[in-house]
Amino acid sequence: MIMNPSAPTPIGSQIIMLFAALMLVLQLLLVVQKMLLTNIRLYALQSLMLTVIAAVIAWYYNATHVYIVAVLTLVGKVIFLPWLLNRLVRRIKIVEEIEPLINAPTSMLICGGLTLLGYIVARPFTTLDKLGNNTLAIAIALLLTGFFLMINRRKAISQVLALLTIENGVMLAAVALTSYGMPLVVELGIFFDVMVAVMVLGILVYRIRESFASMDTSKLTQLKG
Amino acid sequence: MEFTPGNLLTVTFATYAIGAVAGLCCLRHERPANLLTFGLATLASACGLLAGVLCLAYSPAFGTVRMQLLPTLIPYLSFSIRVDALSAFFLVVVSAVALAISIYSLGYMRGFYGRKSVGLLGAFYNVMLLATTLVFLADNAFFFLMVWEIMELTAYCLVSFEHEQAETRRAGVLFFVMSHIGTGCIMLGFLMLFQAYGHATGDYGSAAYSFDNFHALGDRMSSGSRDAAFLLFLAGFGIKSGIVPLHTWLPAAHPVAPSNVSAFLSGVLIKTGIYGMARVFFDFLPGTAGPPMWWGVTVLSIGTISAVLGVLYALMQHDLKRLLAYHSIENIGIILMGFGAALMFLHTGHPVLASLALIAGLYHTINHAIFKALLFLGAGAVLHATHTRDMEHMGGLAKRMPQTAFFFLVGAVAISALPPLNGFVSEWLTYQSLLQGYGTTDSLLRLMFPIGGALLALTGALAAACFVKAFGITFLAQPRSEHAAQANEAPSTMLLGQGLLVAACVFLGLFPTQFLKLLDPLTQSLTGLQISGQLTVANGLVLSGVNPNGGTVSTLGIAVLGLCFLSLPFLLRLVFARGTNVRIGPTWDCGLQGLTPRMEYTATGFSKPIRMIFKALFRPRREVQREYDFSPYFTNTIRFEAHVEEVFETRIYRPLNRWVLWASRRMRALQAGSIQAYLIYIFITLLLLLLFAL
Amino acid sequence: MNLDPISILSQTALLLALAPLITGCIRNWKARLQNRRGPRVWQPYFDLLKFLRKDMVISEHASWVFSAAPYVVFITALLVGLMVPMVTTQAPLSLFGGVLAVVGLLALGRFFLALGGLDPGSAFGGMGSSREMTIAAIAEPALMLALFTVAITVGSTDFSYIVTAAQQPGWNLFNPTHLMAFAALFVVLLAETGRVPIDNPATHLELTMIHEAMLLEYSGRYLALMEWGASIKQLVLMAILVNIFLPVGLATDGSAAMLGLGLLIFLGKILLLSAAVVLVETVNAKLRLFRVPDLLSAAFVLAAMALLSTFLFK
Repeated sequence: MIMNPSAPTPIGSQIIMLFAALMLVLQLLLVVQKMLLTNIRLYALQSLMLTVIAAVIAWYYNATHVYIVAVLTLVGKVIFLPWLLNRLVRRIKIVEEIEPLINAPTSMLICGGLTLLGYIVARPFTTLDKLGNNTLAIAIALLLTGFFLMINRRKAISQVLALLTIENGVMLAAVALTSYGMPLVVELGIFFDVMVAVMVLGILVYRIRESFASMDTSKLTQLKG
Repeated sequence: MEFTPGNLLTVTFATYAIGAVAGLCCLRHERPANLLTFGLATLASACGLLAGVLCLAYSPAFGTVRMQLLPTLIPYLSFSIRVDALSAFFLVVVSAVALAISIYSLGYMRGFYGRKSVGLLGAFYNVMLLATTLVFLADNAFFFLMVWEIMELTAYCLVSFEHEQAETRRAGVLFFVMSHIGTGCIMLGFLMLFQAYGHATGDYGSAAYSFDNFHALGDRMSSGSRDAAFLLFLAGFGIKSGIVPLHTWLPAAHPVAPSNVSAFLSGVLIKTGIYGMARVFFDFLPGTAGPPMWWGVTVLSIGTISAVLGVLYALMQHDLKRLLAYHSIENIGIILMGFGAALMFLHTGHPVLASLALIAGLYHTINHAIFKALLFLGAGAVLHATHTRDMEHMGGLAKRMPQTAFFFLVGAVAISALPPLNGFVSEWLTYQSLLQGYGTTDSLLRLMFPIGGALLALTGALAAACFVKAFGITFLAQPRSEHAAQANEAPSTMLLGQGLLVAACVFLGLFPTQFLKLLDPLTQSLTGLQISGQLTVANGLVLSGVNPNGGTVSTLGIAVLGLCFLSLPFLLRLVFARGTNVRIGPTWDCGLQGLTPRMEYTATGFSKPIRMIFKALFRPRREVQREYDFSPYFTNTIRFEAHVEEVFETRIYRPLNRWVLWASRRMRALQAGSIQAYLIYIFITLLLLLLFAL
Repeated sequence: MNLDPISILSQTALLLALAPLITGCIRNWKARLQNRRGPRVWQPYFDLLKFLRKDMVISEHASWVFSAAPYVVFITALLVGLMVPMVTTQAPLSLFGGVLAVVGLLALGRFFLALGGLDPGSAFGGMGSSREMTIAAIAEPALMLALFTVAITVGSTDFSYIVTAAQQPGWNLFNPTHLMAFAALFVVLLAETGRVPIDNPATHLELTMIHEAMLLEYSGRYLALMEWGASIKQLVLMAILVNIFLPVGLATDGSAAMLGLGLLIFLGKILLLSAAVVLVETVNAKLRLFRVPDLLSAAFVLAAMALLSTFLFK
């Protein structure tokens, strides 16, 4: 009945767990927060957590290419993308998501359920004896909640943000689980893929706004003949 | 005559029967009918209570009491009763509540003089009490079903006693239909047990209906038929006890009955379902192998859902008795949470925890019986004084009916699971079993325990909100109607009946360790363990979880220390506040000319925030009609209407009803009206049966 | 596990003496952050004294429930305070109840507080009661779940036992489980003590008030009991937070040096948490009533995730 308090684990593993958990908490905040600018800030913070995780892993395994990933994440996702999105938001002058499809408490509960699902799926892998393997559950949870966030939002720009959090989840899994397995090329590929996608989407958002005087993607149904 | 449980029970049964006959004899004489029927019921239930307590307290001395009421007349049906520990426990429940209600009724029935036949009601009441007592004691499946049916019929008659109102008639019919669907399920379940026993032993005689032989029958059944029997009993007894989603009859039927009858229906009658489940799930069906995991999971989930939905719907009511009826659903849910956890622990092989969870469920059963009866009796006293069940027309009764208000407050504190009264104790046991259950299994199902605990906390907090509303709107502030302003305190017999239940609440709340000793023979027979020793520490003054480090609580200690601390405010007053005065003044009214009752918060307004928060469930609709001359802010008249959708009725029952009606219309084609057609049907059926037999 | 009259008395004295100071500190610091001078930190003591000496005015519509409520609120707050370890690892009254009794007693106090609000028949009181009970209803599951998470990892609902277990080397705040449970409990603390994102303790006579609305008709020594009770409740909830999640410096034996040091560290921790509360109060605006469930459901999900994490990160 009595479970002993967790035995002392290496400090690195604890840091990774802590920051991965914080990523998940930030994801939940993203789900309830409606202000676009705050959302972008939260995303930047989440990416910062990812940077820290990558740096810790790189330091522990002494893996150079993971350092590169960390630096790229810092520059690209903590500084550049948020700046870009910030500018976009200021230019189109829409600061708040009007009405998500599902209200905040319900979507919180749904996200809780999705996290549970992530934990169930990742359970068989948690016995792997490797640094940060526990984060797989969080990575999957980030992926699932990111998808949910994308479905739940109407504005193109917050959907872009949701996509970015999914990508954060993928990166977390890639960094934490396969620090040796995944070649740098693949990681760079994912990274630049998303970077380009966001820039294209950014332009698209601007265009949608120009054409429809709104960023509501549900209005795109008007395009059909 | 010796003072044995057997003799006492004989007296009980005979007195109930005499009471029923006496009621029928004095149909035209109200006063003697009232005194005879309810006086005899009081006597009978007191004897029954004594018998039950004797059986539990001196179980080794008396063993399992067995009696033959009547000689066997029909094959398979023997009128035999058996009082084992489980039956004795429920005998205590039914008799204790019946005792208080019968005393209360002596005063309450005076309100019926000249309006309705008191003798008839008294007769039905006695028969219902007798049948319910026998349901708990019957030792033969046929006998059980027979008294079960008598209980249902008399309850139906009492629910539709004031049949002048259309609402009552509709509720009566719904009650009748639903309970018979339930009876059907139970009957099928018993037939399956009968078949299993017969198949295993080759004995298809009357012994195959005896409860003794059903014990641990699960070992002799295939897992498929065992599961089928489980589901049948769950549905059958579930309808009787009002689990969600089979509950719709309960909030319709309980409020419309006379209040003393409502108290019995909500306090005891729905516990026959709980008794049935305890009997079948813990005595008959699990064999040595224990029940499968999904049984426990199902029962725990149903319990949790019933608890949360029951209290949420209760909050939306402004009919005092309907509100209480919805709370019965909530409490049945809490009881079933204990049962479900117990089943899960039996599966995982933790008999100690299973005993703890079972005790939690059973403790809540007796607690709910007592405080729910108390609250219904209080509601009856209010109804007696104000002639309305609508809380929006009450208010200010705490000054006009102080004792009733105090009793109702005790009941409200108890049902909201607040320390130091009895509701808290049983919920504490439930929480403990849920928390300790976390370590019993490694699968994800263990998350059910803490989540269930959190939902139980939600239920408790919502119940507290609901009873702040029920008590606050009914008894506090200014009276909202003329009737409420002129209300008078209830007569002394009514107060005595409530007072007895208050005493029981306090006793069960402050001395749980004494009471738990009585449950030892019960857990001994169902799980094979006696754990009251493990549940008490410090000379029986402190209640503990099974694990001594797991946490302890002492309601008695809390109460005593609380009383000691009462000296502190008085000390402060003595030191600092000497010479201060108390003035009576008007309530602050923002500079208007005095507050009127129309400015008070209403029951509907009180629960509005919760209605808004859970609007996905309630789907509230409102209509506001304003008439104004120049600005909508200065209205001449305003009409406000708000509705809450009863999801289960509109989404499940009405479509089902429509479908049944549609199917029946189709079937009407068969009913051609010509004799030849009917003869052909019979002939074809005969042919088919013959072919089938080949 | 025994009852020690001296420790009961000394902890009672500590609760009575310290609670107004915390309230005063929060008020003072909040004012300073808003560029005001604010009342002195010991102003609440003078307030209590003043209330005690004043005459009382009781509404003509009020019944005996109105007079009973202040006593119940005050006494339940004290009882709860004795079940939570403050300076030592052993709470004086831990034999009489743990987590569940604490939540239950707080609910009992709230029950009577809400009834006291309804009793004089003013619309303000009814409004306050209705909102208080609603918010409590949605805060309580989060509170329970967060405490369960801790109770489950330790295997006990006894606060003393939990705090003792928290002294073991394996326990640290930066475990994600504890971090998330702490965050959830912090939100609940704000809700239960009527702090800014949920309720504004500084308002009087506004349509947004909750706790103050229920106290509107109270005056004189009843008001003193109510205010004192609320302060004690706040102190106790804070003590739960700091002592479970930051279990440093608790005295393990009864020596004077240990006790003195424990008291100092306890004071420091409580003041630190008060500072956090002040900061949150200053940088946030009050939420609309129907946005409060968003926040509290976030706390609930956080607590649920803390629970999930015990599963994963063991």
